[in-house]
Amino acid sequence: MILGDLLGRAVHDSDGVKLGRVADARFVVDGAPQQLMAEARLLGLVVSPHSVSSFLGYERTGVTQPWPLPRMLRWRHRGSFLVMWEDIAVMGESVRLREGFTAYSPELVGGPE
Amino acid sequence: MKLVPVPPIAGRTLDAQLHLLDRQALDNDGVPVTTVDDLELSGPEPGTEIPEGTPAPVITALLTGPVLGTRIFGGRPPSSRLIRIPWKDVADVGVVIKLGVSGDSLDADWVERWIRDKIIARIPGGRHDPR
Repeated sequence: MILGDLLGRAVHDSDGVKLGRVADARFVVDGAPQQLMAEARLLGLVVSPHSVSSFLGYERTGVTQPWPLPRMLRWRHRGSFLVMWEDIAVMGESVRLREGFTAYSPELVGGPE
Repeated sequence: MKLVPVPPIAGRTLDAQLHLLDRQALDNDGVPVTTVDDLELSGPEPGTEIPEGTPAPVITALLTGPVLGTRIFGGRPPSSRLIRIPWKDVADVGVVIKLGVSGDSLDADWVERWIRDKIIARIPGGRHDPR
């Protein structure tokens, strides 16, 4: 599937309650090693309840400058969370999560600069 | 909603919007090839139930193509019109995406090569470096 079709789609829980929209997809480069870079596997989706997408990902980093932009953007993306691939039941016109999914912190660790 | 911290992850994490999409791709000589317009994943089939325990999909290719119109008016070009750069050709992801192959071997910059060979080369002096 093409990732662009997924970004911005509505995310529902198993009861059909809307949780937000797909703001981003997180990958981990730890798959089967290849000649240059290992395979990048889908770790999960970043879901944002208040906005369609995320601007520069301030809600995922600890950056505080330039004031007051990070504070404003973090407020705009408040309530964002990461759901792991294992908790996703359907990906298509909308995304449905499995019952009892875990909402992880969207904080980015181990990414490039 | 109580958020759980992400368990430690061994590999490097990449967020598609932050680290991959719209980044410039350079070939192994540092020559710009294209920008990344989209990504292709190995699965799942859109709209179908994902059985529990299914291995996570991986990025199969970086996609590029005629996306200007669809960026403005919405949608995306049909999948057949998108040009693929296989993920196995990607050498590094940083400020730019470095490819480990020569740009001449990729379909992504065929327009530039066509203009060079068919138009620029026919202009007097167009076949050598300016001095």
